[in-house]
Amino acid sequence: MSVLVDDDLWSAVGDPTRRRLLDLLLNEGGGTATGLSEHLPVTRQAVAKHLAVLDRAGLVHATAAGREKRYRVDQERLARAVAQLTAVGEAWDGRLRRIKRIAETIQRESQQ
Amino acid sequence: MEHGTIEREIHIDASPEVVFDVVSSPEHLREWWPDEAEYPVVPGGSGRIGFGDTWMRFTVVDAAPPRLFSFRWTHEEGETAAPGNSFLVVFELEPAGTGTLLRMTESGFRERGWDEAKTAAEYADHVTGWDFYLPRLQVYAPKAAA
Repeated sequence: MSVLVDDDLWSAVGDPTRRRLLDLLLNEGGGTATGLSEHLPVTRQAVAKHLAVLDRAGLVHATAAGREKRYRVDQERLARAVAQLTAVGEAWDGRLRRIKRIAETIQRESQQ
Repeated sequence: MEHGTIEREIHIDASPEVVFDVVSSPEHLREWWPDEAEYPVVPGGSGRIGFGDTWMRFTVVDAAPPRLFSFRWTHEEGETAAPGNSFLVVFELEPAGTGTLLRMTESGFRERGWDEAKTAAEYADHVTGWDFYLPRLQVYAPKAAA
């Protein structure tokens, strides 16, 4: 697993429109830029660009479908990206819970 | 998210002065994160935090009690902490009722790549972190992709 690939993964799923695209692709089982743009407040061209980013990160794969490409989600790769995103976030969740507990204990003891 | 930032916000039933002390002082840091912490709580103050046998560089960026504390960590020995060689953690504190709204952001992941970020998180939270969340990840990750 190279650092470069992981960086692509991170930036690919970091964008809200691309996360929405992944949701749509997962729900519909796949889709084209034209079809997907009907569900989003962005142009077909913008959707095509986002799909290209997801493709480069390996999160979706394209197959020819008439004049357009049809995209599907690579579920294994998405699961890996989600796990990585979640890992660092959860580490902080644990630390913040401890910060809260410590600060509230100090506050209570100082008021007694 | 776009630039590789973790963002969290929590309410704490303690005054900003108390919360500031907990997030900034080496004595308290040891209670919620590393095993050891040695650094002066002043802007530019340089030191280290330790996890078992592993030490990591730690440099205070801003210390403005009771509303802001930020630091960079994981830069190499001998390097000056800067974007690209370290992660930046910012704590912002705001009075909220009788307590404090604490905002935390950690950034620098995109600049450094994910493997490194994950490794740092793993080291930094190995005592309570991974044991707690690995089983949850195993449940969560497949569900997110399903």
